[in-house]
Amino acid sequence: MSNISMNKPGTTVLLLGNEAVARGAIEAGIGIAAAYPGSPSSEVLPSIAEVAKEMNIHTEWSVNEKVATEVAAGASFAGIRAFSVMKQNGANVASDFIINLNMSGIGEAGVVIYIADDPGGMTSSNEEDSRTITKWFDNPLLEPSSAQEAKDMIKWAFEVSEAINLLTFVRGVKRLSYTRSNVVLGEINENKGKKAYFPEVWDLHNPKKSQFTTGPTPTYHKPLHEKIEKARELFETSSFNSYIGQENPELLIITCGACTSYCTEAIEELKAGDRVGVLKLGTTWPLPEKLVAKHLGTTKQVLFVEELDPFVERSVMELAASLLPDTCDLTFYGARSGHLTPYNELSTNLVINALTGILSVTHQPRDLAYEKKVQEAINIVPNRPINMCAGCPHRATFWAIKNALQLDGRKGFVCGDIGCYSLGFGPPGFFQSRTMHAMGSGIGVANGLGNLKHVGFDQPVLALCGDSTFFHAAMPALVNGVYNNSNFILLVLDNSATAMTGFQPHPGTGQLATGDPATVVDIEAICRAMGAPVEVCDPFDMDNTTETLLHMMKQEKGARVIIMRHLCQLVKDKRKIPKEYEMHVDQERCLGDACGCDRLCTRLFGCPGLMWDKEAGKAAIDEALCVGCGLCADICPANAIIREEAIG
Amino acid sequence: MSNNKKGAKELFEEVIDQRLCTYCGACAGGCPYLVSYEGRIVVLDKCTIPEGKCYEYCPRTPTDINAISYQTFGEAYKDDELGAIREVMIARSADDHIRKRAQYGGTVTTLMSLALEEGFIDCGILAKMSDDKIPGSYLARSKEEILQCAGTSYVAYPLLEALNHIPEESTEKLGIVGTPCQVLSLSKMKQDPPQNRVNIGNIKLLIGLFCNWALSFHEFHQFLRENLDLPKVIKFDIPPPPANQFDIYSESGKTSLPLDEIRRYIMPACSYCLDMTAEFADISVGSAEGIEGWNTVIIRTKAGEDLMRLAKAKGALETEILPDENLAHLKEAALNKKKAALKNLVERTGNRNDFLYIYGLSEGITDKFLENK
Repeated sequence: MSNISMNKPGTTVLLLGNEAVARGAIEAGIGIAAAYPGSPSSEVLPSIAEVAKEMNIHTEWSVNEKVATEVAAGASFAGIRAFSVMKQNGANVASDFIINLNMSGIGEAGVVIYIADDPGGMTSSNEEDSRTITKWFDNPLLEPSSAQEAKDMIKWAFEVSEAINLLTFVRGVKRLSYTRSNVVLGEINENKGKKAYFPEVWDLHNPKKSQFTTGPTPTYHKPLHEKIEKARELFETSSFNSYIGQENPELLIITCGACTSYCTEAIEELKAGDRVGVLKLGTTWPLPEKLVAKHLGTTKQVLFVEELDPFVERSVMELAASLLPDTCDLTFYGARSGHLTPYNELSTNLVINALTGILSVTHQPRDLAYEKKVQEAINIVPNRPINMCAGCPHRATFWAIKNALQLDGRKGFVCGDIGCYSLGFGPPGFFQSRTMHAMGSGIGVANGLGNLKHVGFDQPVLALCGDSTFFHAAMPALVNGVYNNSNFILLVLDNSATAMTGFQPHPGTGQLATGDPATVVDIEAICRAMGAPVEVCDPFDMDNTTETLLHMMKQEKGARVIIMRHLCQLVKDKRKIPKEYEMHVDQERCLGDACGCDRLCTRLFGCPGLMWDKEAGKAAIDEALCVGCGLCADICPANAIIREEAIG
Repeated sequence: MSNNKKGAKELFEEVIDQRLCTYCGACAGGCPYLVSYEGRIVVLDKCTIPEGKCYEYCPRTPTDINAISYQTFGEAYKDDELGAIREVMIARSADDHIRKRAQYGGTVTTLMSLALEEGFIDCGILAKMSDDKIPGSYLARSKEEILQCAGTSYVAYPLLEALNHIPEESTEKLGIVGTPCQVLSLSKMKQDPPQNRVNIGNIKLLIGLFCNWALSFHEFHQFLRENLDLPKVIKFDIPPPPANQFDIYSESGKTSLPLDEIRRYIMPACSYCLDMTAEFADISVGSAEGIEGWNTVIIRTKAGEDLMRLAKAKGALETEILPDENLAHLKEAALNKKKAALKNLVERTGNRNDFLYIYGLSEGITDKFLENK
């Protein structure tokens, strides 16, 4: 039995933050879970999917976050607790539905969204603070500071959701998602046997809310605000809010989420426990004002420690303003004062820096000689720029795009998208991608560029999306292009995987979140049905791909599609597909940096499986990284890269 | 002579961006960076090598004419209008079949076929028109394949790109049929043979084509596409003055266009070319103005002489003496091209002693070719 589904309350298990979130939902007795993958949230749904059958939970990868939220709401309308998971960008996609759902209210059963933010933007195209959105949505928000709390909060969030009949958010961050720690399991709220049922309109014996619509707006808007006030009342006494410190601290830190640990560690490091108190808020929206007001009265200085937007900071300052003149001698520190930043991740060190300034203490983290050695060591660490994997089909696609655009000569360009192929804007994609925004936006932007002929625009426009993105957000934009006769070519980089976020299946893969077989939704057939001419290329056949691109660019008419179909190398590895070729470089033939080559393979093509042997002045194969795809043999101008059929 | 050790960057700055490119193909195909495509030299990626063969072999980068003359003929470059000559004549193929397909007398086709048959060469590099009448370089290894290359399109084509594709280890003996700029580039290749690609020593025969100018592919072909059913076209021809017309022969007969309408598609680079008769070839061949169905032939080297002698001995070619009047006319035309080119070059550089890319001309020669001193 998996730790996630183990029904042994009180047992301590080691869980990844995202697994603890999944366990929380299971303990809450959900009947349905729907998500769209996106780091740092991606592991939650697979953790539930793993035990979906035994726990009788329908688990699905939805095509996008809006649909995932709608799936969850539907279940709630039928009285089944429902859970949805997404990364920060997902809330934007789901926002239109959520705002309207807040008008209608949810069903009898709770709906919770776990949303994982990415301070530092390590795996994201932006650094959005999703908490701000929950405020303009008017949804309650909880912020766990540990895996244990994440599990417990998810469970409680369902109770909050049901108590006020509103979707409730739990916000985590990357550090919480990806930290493994001990979690004491709780009871699983058995949902088995509960029949899903959409309430009848005139059931006199069991009158229930039976309509979920966004009726006359002002009538529905007022109760929404009342619900938020009710949530505030619940939050005032929540045990997820806690205080550690003296009764009248010299400095009060107000913090939340993963930053709580940074504060605790910083105070310990500075031995400032007798001067600084920490108010940790687990319920950050709506703010438990009475609780906060009480603590504001105990001090003269307040430091806000939170990641990204000064969200709690602004709420508390707003509260302080309403409490004037009682709060008039309070000094506030945080993002506004510049003691901390409203961007990037925070850390214990950054909190220490803020504290030393406020408390006028000095801090020498480590011995100076040691510090110097560390700095020297940093300088000798080789620079490893991000790259596409050895054998990645996107490298082949971008190579063909580059060549086709150069040959075409009309200064065509690529509107990029987010995914592994985001790297198309840099050296791995030969700088071909020239725009990059949200999922599917490349095609949308191409729609605009493709309809500028009347103002003299004559550059060919290519747009990219991945196969998963095609279903997520590209389809409406493609319909738009066909309908409005926009002149562009959509390249669907179909590697049969949602590779960037961890190989989750999608409608094109023939597999469900649970691993069960699914109907394959055929991208090519969809595009044809939309009325777009479609070509299918294997990007590894680079000459043919270049030819097809050139041919399509010459057509200069309407929205056209090329599906670049080649299996992701990492999926090949997972499926243990043996390598096709053994590669080696004929040292005699290799021209190295001489005229006729100029290190094409290592300087420009850039597959990690290729090495430049500086001493020999020749290229070589890195046996450890080469996957034997054979592509480099096609670009070598001297036929020095040799591929031989791999045996066995 | 200025420093000619430059690379792709300078090739673009000094030649291609200046519209001096003849589209000979010498810079293309020898590396992964430069290729030809539909009338343009295209950069696929940035090459960082400061000294490239692309620059060195270009017929519009600094060229020491005198040194090339020494290398080819063992003597200095002279002020002869037609270049170094062993013999001049008119000739035509003895084979009706060839004459029917050929532009004029079928001399080039016949000589190349014979060279192939007699083992002088194993492979011919020639221009061949596609069904759409787009000329491209073609490697011909049989008589039939050579015959398919008969006829001219009057359009510039990157012949030498095909040569650059031939691998270093190939031992095939090569015969090349090229325009004056292509022949000039080949001479530069012979001066400083390339490494890591075709062995220049394999070139055993170089037949030059008379050329006044060539048309630019892109614009001209668009014009043709808009006005003609190209697959049905059999032959293009520019009859001798005073006709001043461009003839298109197709299945349905002949169409004539005013030559001036065609002239606007002439490659700008051609107005800076001094060479009408491919002066550094083994044999140069062109039309014989006023003598329909015959070619003018200039024999320049021993290799050329040997092949011509064999052609006559085998009865493959019929030859006659080129009438003096025709020779005088040919010389005049060649001289006019030189004069115009030098005038244009001097206009461009603003210096009577600076011919942009031509070096090694003695003062006597420039005096003769530059009028109005």
